[in-house]
Amino acid sequence: MDEMAKRLKSDAERIDVHISDELDRRISASLRVVGPEKPAKPARGGRPATFWWASSLTGMAATAAVIVVMNARPPLEETAAPPAPATAVAAVPVIDWKAETAMLTSPLRQELLDLKSDIKKAEQKVKDDIGL
Amino acid sequence: MNDEQQLIDAAKAGSVVAFTGLVRSYRHRLLRFLLTRCGSYADAEDALQDTLMAAFRYLHSYDPRWRFSTWLYRIAIRNAQKIRSELVVEFSELRDEEGDPLLHCIAASETENLWISARRVLNEEVFAATWLRYAEDMSIKDISIALDRSVSWTKVNLLRSRRILDTEMRRQSKGDEAYG
Repeated sequence: MDEMAKRLKSDAERIDVHISDELDRRISASLRVVGPEKPAKPARGGRPATFWWASSLTGMAATAAVIVVMNARPPLEETAAPPAPATAVAAVPVIDWKAETAMLTSPLRQELLDLKSDIKKAEQKVKDDIGL
Repeated sequence: MNDEQQLIDAAKAGSVVAFTGLVRSYRHRLLRFLLTRCGSYADAEDALQDTLMAAFRYLHSYDPRWRFSTWLYRIAIRNAQKIRSELVVEFSELRDEEGDPLLHCIAASETENLWISARRVLNEEVFAATWLRYAEDMSIKDISIALDRSVSWTKVNLLRSRRILDTEMRRQSKGDEAYG
Protein backbone atom coordinates (compact mmCIF):
# COMPACT_ATOMS: atom_id res chain seq x y z
CA MET A 1 0.00 0.00 0.00
CA ASP A 2 1.49 3.34 -1.03
CA GLU A 3 1.60 6.50 1.05
CA MET A 4 -1.55 8.03 -0.37
CA ALA A 5 -3.59 4.87 0.08
CA LYS A 6 -2.41 4.65 3.69
CA ARG A 7 -3.24 8.28 4.29
CA LEU A 8 -6.74 7.91 2.79
CA LYS A 9 -7.38 4.78 4.83
CA SER A 10 -6.24 6.32 8.11
CA ASP A 11 -8.07 9.59 7.42
CA ALA A 12 -11.29 7.67 6.75
CA GLU A 13 -10.86 5.88 10.08
CA ARG A 14 -10.39 9.21 11.81
CA ILE A 15 -13.98 10.12 10.96
CA ASP A 16 -15.66 9.23 14.18
CA VAL A 17 -19.28 8.11 13.95
CA HIS A 18 -21.49 6.14 16.25
CA ILE A 19 -24.97 4.72 15.98
CA SER A 20 -27.02 6.16 18.82
CA ASP A 21 -29.57 4.05 20.68
CA GLU A 22 -32.27 6.34 19.36
CA LEU A 23 -31.18 5.75 15.73
CA ASP A 24 -30.93 2.02 16.41
CA ARG A 25 -34.51 1.97 17.72
CA ARG A 26 -35.69 4.08 14.80
CA ILE A 27 -34.12 1.72 12.25
CA SER A 28 -35.51 -1.39 13.95
CA ALA A 29 -39.00 0.12 14.11
CA SER A 30 -38.94 1.15 10.44
CA LEU A 31 -37.74 -2.32 9.40
CA ARG A 32 -40.66 -3.91 11.24
CA VAL A 33 -43.07 -1.62 9.42
CA VAL A 34 -41.57 -2.12 5.95
CA GLY A 35 -40.99 -5.87 5.57
CA PRO A 36 -39.49 -7.42 2.46
CA GLU A 37 -41.51 -7.30 -0.74
CA LYS A 38 -42.21 -10.53 -2.54
CA PRO A 39 -40.89 -10.79 -6.09
CA ALA A 40 -43.57 -10.20 -8.71
CA LYS A 41 -44.85 -13.45 -10.19
CA PRO A 42 -45.04 -13.79 -13.96
CA ALA A 43 -48.55 -13.34 -15.38
CA ARG A 44 -48.80 -16.93 -16.70
CA GLY A 45 -47.96 -18.32 -13.29
CA GLY A 46 -51.23 -16.96 -11.91
CA ARG A 47 -53.43 -19.50 -13.71
CA PRO A 48 -54.73 -22.40 -11.64
CA ALA A 49 -53.34 -25.89 -12.24
CA THR A 50 -56.77 -27.11 -13.30
CA PHE A 51 -56.60 -24.70 -16.28
CA TRP A 52 -53.98 -26.85 -18.00
CA TRP A 53 -55.86 -30.08 -17.26
CA ALA A 54 -59.07 -28.60 -18.63
CA SER A 55 -57.44 -27.37 -21.85
CA SER A 56 -55.65 -30.70 -22.38
CA LEU A 57 -58.87 -32.67 -21.92
CA THR A 58 -60.73 -30.33 -24.29
CA GLY A 59 -58.06 -30.86 -26.94
CA MET A 60 -58.20 -34.63 -26.56
CA ALA A 61 -62.01 -34.65 -26.75
CA ALA A 62 -61.94 -32.54 -29.93
CA THR A 63 -59.44 -34.93 -31.54
CA ALA A 64 -61.57 -37.95 -30.61
CA ALA A 65 -64.69 -36.28 -32.05
CA VAL A 66 -62.96 -35.61 -35.37
CA ILE A 67 -61.79 -39.25 -35.58
CA VAL A 68 -65.31 -40.54 -34.83
CA VAL A 69 -66.93 -38.26 -37.40
CA MET A 70 -64.45 -39.24 -40.08
CA ASN A 71 -64.99 -42.96 -39.45
CA ALA A 72 -68.78 -42.63 -39.32
CA ARG A 73 -69.06 -41.19 -42.88
CA PRO A 74 -70.21 -43.71 -45.59
CA PRO A 75 -67.34 -44.96 -47.68
CA LEU A 76 -66.99 -43.39 -51.08
CA GLU A 77 -68.08 -45.52 -54.05
CA GLU A 78 -65.17 -47.25 -55.45
CA THR A 79 -64.57 -46.30 -59.04
CA ALA A 80 -62.74 -48.54 -61.36
CA ALA A 81 -59.26 -47.45 -61.94
CA PRO A 82 -58.67 -46.48 -65.57
CA PRO A 83 -56.81 -49.17 -67.45
CA ALA A 84 -53.22 -48.47 -67.76
CA PRO A 85 -52.19 -47.75 -71.32
CA ALA A 86 -50.46 -50.63 -72.93
CA THR A 87 -47.61 -48.47 -73.87
CA ALA A 88 -47.01 -47.56 -70.28
CA VAL A 89 -46.42 -51.18 -69.42
CA ALA A 90 -43.72 -51.50 -71.98
CA ALA A 91 -40.28 -51.20 -70.68
CA VAL A 92 -38.46 -48.01 -71.40
CA PRO A 93 -36.15 -48.79 -74.30
CA VAL A 94 -32.51 -48.25 -73.81
CA ILE A 95 -31.35 -45.54 -76.11
CA ASP A 96 -27.98 -46.11 -77.59
CA TRP A 97 -26.62 -42.62 -77.76
CA LYS A 98 -24.05 -42.09 -80.41
CA ALA A 99 -22.33 -38.80 -80.06
CA GLU A 100 -20.12 -37.64 -82.79
CA THR A 101 -18.13 -34.52 -83.22
CA ALA A 102 -19.55 -32.44 -86.01
CA MET A 103 -17.15 -32.13 -88.89
CA LEU A 104 -17.92 -28.82 -90.51
CA THR A 105 -17.10 -29.36 -94.16
CA SER A 106 -19.80 -27.18 -95.86
CA PRO A 107 -20.79 -23.61 -95.34
CA LEU A 108 -22.33 -23.06 -91.88
CA ARG A 109 -25.89 -22.54 -93.15
CA GLN A 110 -25.82 -25.88 -94.99
CA GLU A 111 -24.32 -27.62 -91.97
CA LEU A 112 -27.11 -26.21 -89.76
CA LEU A 113 -29.79 -27.55 -92.14
CA ASP A 114 -28.12 -30.97 -92.20
CA LEU A 115 -27.93 -31.07 -88.40
CA LYS A 116 -31.63 -30.15 -88.09
CA SER A 117 -32.49 -32.90 -90.54
CA ASP A 118 -30.42 -35.39 -88.55
CA ILE A 119 -32.21 -34.38 -85.34
CA LYS A 120 -35.62 -34.90 -86.97
CA LYS A 121 -34.59 -38.32 -88.19
CA ALA A 122 -33.33 -39.25 -84.76
CA GLU A 123 -36.59 -38.07 -83.12
CA GLN A 124 -38.63 -40.15 -85.58
CA LYS A 125 -36.46 -43.18 -84.91
CA VAL A 126 -36.95 -42.81 -81.18
CA LYS A 127 -40.72 -42.48 -81.61
CA ASP A 128 -40.80 -45.61 -83.74
CA ASP A 129 -38.74 -47.49 -81.19
CA ILE A 130 -41.05 -46.68 -78.28
CA GLY A 131 -44.19 -47.23 -80.35
CA LEU A 132 -45.62 -43.71 -80.47
CA MET B 1 -23.89 -22.10 2.56
CA ASN B 2 -22.16 -19.33 4.54
CA ASP B 3 -23.53 -17.31 7.45
CA GLU B 4 -24.22 -14.25 5.31
CA GLN B 5 -26.25 -16.29 2.82
CA GLN B 6 -28.23 -17.88 5.66
CA LEU B 7 -29.00 -14.45 7.08
CA ILE B 8 -30.03 -13.20 3.63
CA ASP B 9 -32.39 -16.14 3.18
CA ALA B 10 -33.92 -15.61 6.61
CA ALA B 11 -34.26 -11.86 5.98
CA LYS B 12 -35.94 -12.55 2.64
CA ALA B 13 -38.46 -14.62 4.55
CA GLY B 14 -39.20 -11.52 6.67
CA SER B 15 -36.92 -11.86 9.69
CA VAL B 16 -35.99 -8.40 11.00
CA VAL B 17 -33.54 -10.01 13.44
CA ALA B 18 -31.70 -11.74 10.58
CA PHE B 19 -31.54 -8.54 8.56
CA THR B 20 -30.30 -6.54 11.54
CA GLY B 21 -27.57 -9.14 12.06
CA LEU B 22 -26.73 -9.02 8.37
CA VAL B 23 -26.20 -5.25 8.24
CA ARG B 24 -24.75 -4.76 11.73
CA SER B 25 -21.15 -4.67 10.56
CA TYR B 26 -21.96 -2.29 7.71
CA ARG B 27 -23.88 0.39 9.63
CA HIS B 28 -20.89 2.37 10.91
CA ARG B 29 -19.12 2.21 7.58
CA LEU B 30 -22.23 3.32 5.72
CA LEU B 31 -22.86 6.17 8.16
CA ARG B 32 -19.27 7.34 7.77
CA PHE B 33 -19.62 7.34 4.00
CA LEU B 34 -23.01 9.05 4.09
CA LEU B 35 -21.63 11.70 6.44
CA THR B 36 -19.19 12.74 3.73
CA ARG B 37 -22.10 13.20 1.32
CA CYS B 38 -24.72 14.89 3.52
CA GLY B 39 -25.09 18.40 4.86
CA SER B 40 -25.72 17.39 8.46
CA TYR B 41 -25.33 14.47 10.84
CA ALA B 42 -29.11 14.12 11.01
CA ASP B 43 -29.31 13.87 7.21
CA ALA B 44 -26.66 11.16 7.22
CA GLU B 45 -28.65 9.24 9.85
CA ASP B 46 -31.82 9.63 7.77
CA ALA B 47 -29.94 8.43 4.68
CA LEU B 48 -28.69 5.40 6.61
CA GLN B 49 -32.21 4.59 7.77
CA ASP B 50 -33.57 4.95 4.21
CA THR B 51 -30.75 2.79 2.84
CA LEU B 52 -31.41 -0.04 5.28
CA MET B 53 -35.18 0.17 4.75
CA ALA B 54 -34.74 0.02 0.96
CA ALA B 55 -32.30 -2.88 1.28
CA PHE B 56 -34.76 -4.83 3.44
CA ARG B 57 -37.71 -4.05 1.21
CA TYR B 58 -35.98 -4.98 -2.03
CA LEU B 59 -33.84 -7.81 -0.72
CA HIS B 60 -35.47 -10.16 -3.24
CA SER B 61 -33.72 -8.20 -6.02
CA TYR B 62 -30.27 -8.80 -4.52
CA ASP B 63 -28.13 -10.75 -6.97
CA PRO B 64 -25.93 -13.25 -5.05
CA ARG B 65 -23.23 -12.93 -7.73
CA TRP B 66 -22.42 -9.54 -6.18
CA ARG B 67 -20.93 -8.96 -2.78
CA PHE B 68 -23.63 -7.90 -0.34
CA SER B 69 -21.62 -4.81 0.65
CA THR B 70 -21.45 -3.71 -3.01
CA TRP B 71 -25.22 -3.90 -3.32
CA LEU B 72 -25.67 -2.03 -0.03
CA TYR B 73 -23.33 0.76 -1.11
CA ARG B 74 -25.13 1.06 -4.41
CA ILE B 75 -28.34 1.84 -2.51
CA ALA B 76 -26.50 4.19 -0.14
CA ILE B 77 -24.97 6.14 -3.04
CA ARG B 78 -28.40 6.60 -4.61
CA ASN B 79 -29.88 7.77 -1.31
CA ALA B 80 -27.02 10.19 -0.77
CA GLN B 81 -27.54 11.61 -4.27
CA LYS B 82 -31.26 11.97 -3.62
CA ILE B 83 -30.73 13.78 -0.32
CA ARG B 84 -28.10 16.06 -1.83
CA SER B 85 -30.34 16.96 -4.77
CA GLU B 86 -33.16 17.78 -2.35
CA LEU B 87 -31.01 19.94 -0.08
CA VAL B 88 -28.72 21.41 -2.74
CA VAL B 89 -25.83 21.53 -0.29
CA GLU B 90 -22.58 22.94 -1.55
CA PHE B 91 -19.69 21.60 0.47
CA SER B 92 -17.63 24.66 -0.29
CA GLU B 93 -20.16 26.58 1.83
CA LEU B 94 -19.54 24.32 4.83
CA ARG B 95 -16.27 25.68 5.99
CA ASP B 96 -16.56 25.85 9.74
CA GLU B 97 -16.73 23.01 12.21
CA GLU B 98 -20.21 23.89 13.41
CA GLY B 99 -21.64 23.84 9.90
CA ASP B 100 -19.82 20.87 8.47
CA PRO B 101 -20.76 17.57 10.12
CA LEU B 102 -17.68 15.89 8.71
CA LEU B 103 -15.35 18.40 10.35
CA HIS B 104 -17.24 17.89 13.56
CA CYS B 105 -16.56 14.14 13.45
CA ILE B 106 -12.86 14.36 12.66
CA ALA B 107 -10.42 14.37 15.53
CA ALA B 108 -8.11 17.37 15.65
CA SER B 109 -4.91 16.75 13.77
CA GLU B 110 -1.94 18.68 12.51
CA THR B 111 -2.73 17.78 8.91
CA GLU B 112 -6.02 18.36 7.20
CA ASN B 113 -8.05 15.22 6.65
CA LEU B 114 -7.54 14.29 3.01
CA TRP B 115 -11.22 13.41 2.61
CA ILE B 116 -12.12 17.03 3.30
CA SER B 117 -9.85 18.02 0.43
CA ALA B 118 -11.20 15.18 -1.71
CA ARG B 119 -14.74 16.35 -1.17
CA ARG B 120 -13.73 19.82 -2.25
CA VAL B 121 -11.78 18.90 -5.39
CA LEU B 122 -13.53 15.77 -6.68
CA ASN B 123 -16.99 15.47 -8.09
CA GLU B 124 -19.59 13.33 -6.37
CA GLU B 125 -19.09 10.12 -8.35
CA VAL B 126 -15.32 10.25 -8.36
CA PHE B 127 -15.34 10.94 -4.63
CA ALA B 128 -17.56 7.87 -4.12
CA ALA B 129 -15.25 5.73 -6.27
CA THR B 130 -12.22 6.94 -4.33
CA TRP B 131 -13.93 6.28 -0.99
CA LEU B 132 -14.95 2.76 -1.97
CA ARG B 133 -11.42 2.03 -3.18
CA TYR B 134 -9.35 3.44 -0.35
CA ALA B 135 -11.66 3.52 2.66
CA GLU B 136 -13.53 0.29 1.89
CA ASP B 137 -10.82 -1.64 -0.01
CA MET B 138 -13.35 -2.50 -2.68
CA SER B 139 -12.19 -3.99 -5.99
CA ILE B 140 -12.40 -2.00 -9.22
CA LYS B 141 -15.08 -4.35 -10.50
CA ASP B 142 -17.23 -3.96 -7.38
CA ILE B 143 -16.86 -0.19 -7.52
CA SER B 144 -18.00 -0.16 -11.13
CA ILE B 145 -21.05 -2.22 -10.14
CA ALA B 146 -21.84 0.01 -7.16
CA LEU B 147 -21.61 3.15 -9.30
CA ASP B 148 -23.21 1.55 -12.36
CA ARG B 149 -20.20 2.55 -14.45
CA SER B 150 -17.81 0.64 -16.66
CA VAL B 151 -14.58 -0.82 -15.32
CA SER B 152 -12.62 1.48 -17.66
CA TRP B 153 -14.43 4.57 -16.34
CA THR B 154 -13.64 3.50 -12.79
CA LYS B 155 -9.95 2.89 -13.51
CA VAL B 156 -9.48 6.17 -15.36
CA ASN B 157 -11.26 8.25 -12.73
CA LEU B 158 -9.44 6.61 -9.84
CA LEU B 159 -6.18 7.47 -11.55
CA ARG B 160 -7.28 11.08 -12.07
CA SER B 161 -8.46 11.28 -8.48
CA ARG B 162 -5.06 10.09 -7.25
CA ARG B 163 -3.30 12.73 -9.34
CA ILE B 164 -5.57 15.48 -8.05
CA LEU B 165 -5.19 14.34 -4.44
CA ASP B 166 -1.45 14.02 -4.87
CA THR B 167 -1.30 17.64 -6.01
CA GLU B 168 -3.47 18.57 -3.04
CA MET B 169 -1.15 16.72 -0.63
CA ARG B 170 1.88 18.52 -2.07
CA ARG B 171 0.11 21.85 -1.77
CA GLN B 172 -0.72 21.08 1.87
CA SER B 173 2.83 20.08 2.71
CA LYS B 174 4.20 23.23 1.04
CA GLY B 175 1.75 25.32 3.04
CA ASP B 176 2.81 23.60 6.25
CA GLU B 177 6.48 24.26 5.46
CA ALA B 178 5.79 27.91 4.71
CA TYR B 179 3.99 28.36 8.05
CA GLY B 180 6.46 26.15 9.91
